[in-house]
Amino acid sequence: MAIRFEDVNEGLRRIVLSGRLDTVGSEQIAPKFAELTESANGGVVVYLSEVRFLSSMAISVLVTGAKAVQAKGGRMVLHVAENEVIIRTLEATGINELIPTFQDSLDAEKALLK
Amino acid sequence: MSLPAAQPPAALTIRADMWDARRASGWLESAALAQNVPLDQVVRLDHCLDEALANVIRHGGPTALSSPVHLQFGVRRGPGACTAELLVSDAGLAFDPSTFIAVAPHPASLVDAMPGGLGLLLIRNFSDELSYRHSQGRNHLTITVSWVEEA
Repeated sequence: MAIRFEDVNEGLRRIVLSGRLDTVGSEQIAPKFAELTESANGGVVVYLSEVRFLSSMAISVLVTGAKAVQAKGGRMVLHVAENEVIIRTLEATGINELIPTFQDSLDAEKALLK
Repeated sequence: MSLPAAQPPAALTIRADMWDARRASGWLESAALAQNVPLDQVVRLDHCLDEALANVIRHGGPTALSSPVHLQFGVRRGPGACTAELLVSDAGLAFDPSTFIAVAPHPASLVDAMPGGLGLLLIRNFSDELSYRHSQGRNHLTITVSWVEEA
């Protein structure tokens, strides 16, 4: 699994996750993800389209990150593309109702401008 | 009536830690693909295995952590209908995940959301059937997925 990021501008950060976010993988990316969400100014798009496994630990990491962004007045959204396993996992846990989820990356970033 | 087993079950014994849990995932994938289990069914079982082992490690107590976890995997095929069964046996505190019912509604907002507690929900969602028994000091959880195979 891997985590990388890009600051598009002062108000938009892209965080790209990839690979297997099982329990071990999630624990490995958690510190970096927390650092990136806590230090973001404004909106954060988390790209999950390259993730092939999303565990409950990974969902906890996402929720904690979304709360950190929200605590600073920002918003976090998820880009899932057509990744069926990830969509199913988010729907099963109801997380898609708490963190806005988009299949189109442009829609995800536009949502943060509203 | 249960379906006939295609091959003898595969078995693996691991330590109760998350690194061995990842090793178990690789074993499961190899065993399942060797028996021509469709990839989407392997993915479902893989999620259940990761969450089941995470529960053992986090909540099973000291005995769970100091005792091996036994895994067994088998496939049964009948006319059209197929099932794959994964048995997870651990020596932790007795706990029956098959009786877990998510009575609490999903949180209404991000503020109300509590990280954690979603593993059992995922096991239930990704499996078709769960069965549990406790014997000789061990939990025995069987996770089943089913699919239809074209002739």
